[in-house]
Amino acid sequence: MKRIFALALAAQVWAAHGHAQVLSERGFVDGRAFLFPQTTPTDTTRAVGDLLIREELFLKPTNWLQLAGGADLRANSHDQVDERWRLDWKDRRVLRPPLSLRRLTATVTLGPFAVDIGKQFIRWGRADVTYPTDRFAPRDYITVIDPELLGVTGIRPSIQIGSESFEAVWLPELTPSRLPLLEQRWTFLPSEAAALDIIDRGSRIGSTPQYGARWRHTGGRLESALSYFDGTNHLPNVNAVVDPVKSALEILRVYPRIRMYGADAAIPTSEVTLKLEAAYVTSPPRATEEYLLYVVEAERQVGEWLLDAGYAGDVVTRRAPFTGEPFAPDRGLARALIARAAYTIDPRRTMAIEGAIRQTGNGVYLRAEYSSAIGRYWRVTVSGVELNGEDDDFLGQYRRNSHAVVALRFSF
Amino acid sequence: MNSVRLLLLTSLIASTAVVRPTAAESARDIVAEAQRRSTTESERYEGLLQTLTGGKKTSEKRWIFERVGAHGQSKSIIRFTAPPEVKGVALLIVNHPERPSDQWMWTPALERDRRIALQDRSTRFFGTDFSFEDLEQRDVDQYDHMLLGEEMIDGALTWRIQSTPKPSRSSQYTKTIVWIRQDNYATARIDSYEIASVARRLQLSDIRQVQGVWTAHETVMTDLRRGSTTRLSLDKVQYNLPMKEDSFTLQALRRQ
Repeated sequence: MKRIFALALAAQVWAAHGHAQVLSERGFVDGRAFLFPQTTPTDTTRAVGDLLIREELFLKPTNWLQLAGGADLRANSHDQVDERWRLDWKDRRVLRPPLSLRRLTATVTLGPFAVDIGKQFIRWGRADVTYPTDRFAPRDYITVIDPELLGVTGIRPSIQIGSESFEAVWLPELTPSRLPLLEQRWTFLPSEAAALDIIDRGSRIGSTPQYGARWRHTGGRLESALSYFDGTNHLPNVNAVVDPVKSALEILRVYPRIRMYGADAAIPTSEVTLKLEAAYVTSPPRATEEYLLYVVEAERQVGEWLLDAGYAGDVVTRRAPFTGEPFAPDRGLARALIARAAYTIDPRRTMAIEGAIRQTGNGVYLRAEYSSAIGRYWRVTVSGVELNGEDDDFLGQYRRNSHAVVALRFSF
Repeated sequence: MNSVRLLLLTSLIASTAVVRPTAAESARDIVAEAQRRSTTESERYEGLLQTLTGGKKTSEKRWIFERVGAHGQSKSIIRFTAPPEVKGVALLIVNHPERPSDQWMWTPALERDRRIALQDRSTRFFGTDFSFEDLEQRDVDQYDHMLLGEEMIDGALTWRIQSTPKPSRSSQYTKTIVWIRQDNYATARIDSYEIASVARRLQLSDIRQVQGVWTAHETVMTDLRRGSTTRLSLDKVQYNLPMKEDSFTLQALRRQ
């Protein structure tokens, strides 16, 4: 920890002495408290504290080379952070690491050609509700509804000529999304399972690399992209088997191989911006079901309001032999109407409200948030989340997890 | 005799056209000359943005501005450097001679860019009194110009010119009134109208020469409907630095 602060201090001093053009840094200390009014059959903790310290450095020693590095330091009151102290390079474990490498990337630029090598973030999705084509963006789903991106390690060459750009991605191995912890409230277990011991049989992840490519057109009247992915889904099928002899529930996570054919577009009209994104996901080894996931959104800025409303849908085109229940938050908002309204009160204060309602009415999600800057460095954010619905609905299953969050962030 | 008179009359009309052009042509010439004098291959400055409400400072932001090309052929990137919570946020502006600019915002926390839609251009840029449209570089041919008269601004004689956007130049403003100084062709003030009333007023001062270009180092944008003001102070202004167009793409935008 001392090293991180020393590094941050050195970066600040370096930047302050006129080297801002070649070195920049940013970071924050974020503390937040989660308050849950209700307990769940597997989790009676109603207050959780979380601390995250992040520091990122960006160095540009020459015009053609840029280096980026970042690290996270974490602590949590509810055992969501590993107690073993060591630098986690890959960040692929069940628990959050106390010290992890967030990014470490070298970017080489030669004219219109660029290549990013190392641990990085790759975002393909265009929609704001759910991200059908975002196949290289695993997330930390320990608290399911507020996921944070995880970096992936690989090579990403790209070229941009005029309004056309093309990028390819190769990752030697999968970085899976981090799943809710089995003994905690974001893992939904039926009430009859509460009496059983839970045995974690681990994860079955293939060793094959991930490939992908995306072509993007940025025209004045239309912005569009086509994408392709071949690799392993970063979200697993969860196989839960009751062993009556041991009176235990055995859980195995299996990450299936998939292919994705994606397309997205943004069409600015005189009234709204239409955003469309769709992905057709197939499973060559027939290891999981095949489906089309799509989002249609309309976005409009009106004065200080940013309004966004849409529909997410999915169509299953082929059922697979049962290989476990998919843990699929990306599809968890499918067949739902979604809306968001954000209001800028003044340069320092914002408020937002967002919600999703399943077309069957079996699942409801609602979040209200107020955020205010205090001075130059501090920001306080208060939010409330309401979840409701039926057990068999992705949102509804978390109905005992409605909560409030108070977050205080010091940015430096 | 008649033919001589006709010749004289024709000559008179011709000489009047040269010496005393119509108001519309004259206004365009003035704006074109102002544009020519401010044309550089590239520009870089460090900006300090201070938002004031009721005369009291409510926020302060710093950015680095870089531009390659000029006016309707230019591309710009604005990168915020302070306060800490907006560090890394960036805006790419690709200007066009015949239509409104294309703009994309990069948000590091989301690791993605977002296109600023045409109908969003009238909204405030990051809580300041500048709208996204106000950040565009204008091109003389995107407007019809008309000379309204002369006026003193800060002790300098100016031309007062009305610029109305052409149909291809979609704008939140129905017209702008621009005051251009007669001594150096620097812009001193711009009033931007929505229908009949002034919506925003830009006042430019501390005009000094930098590498032969008259440059306003203080600009104050007032949103007359809200009663708030944003002051932009320019520091370390440099022109004609070696810059590559490849540094002004969506690829480059995400390189922080």
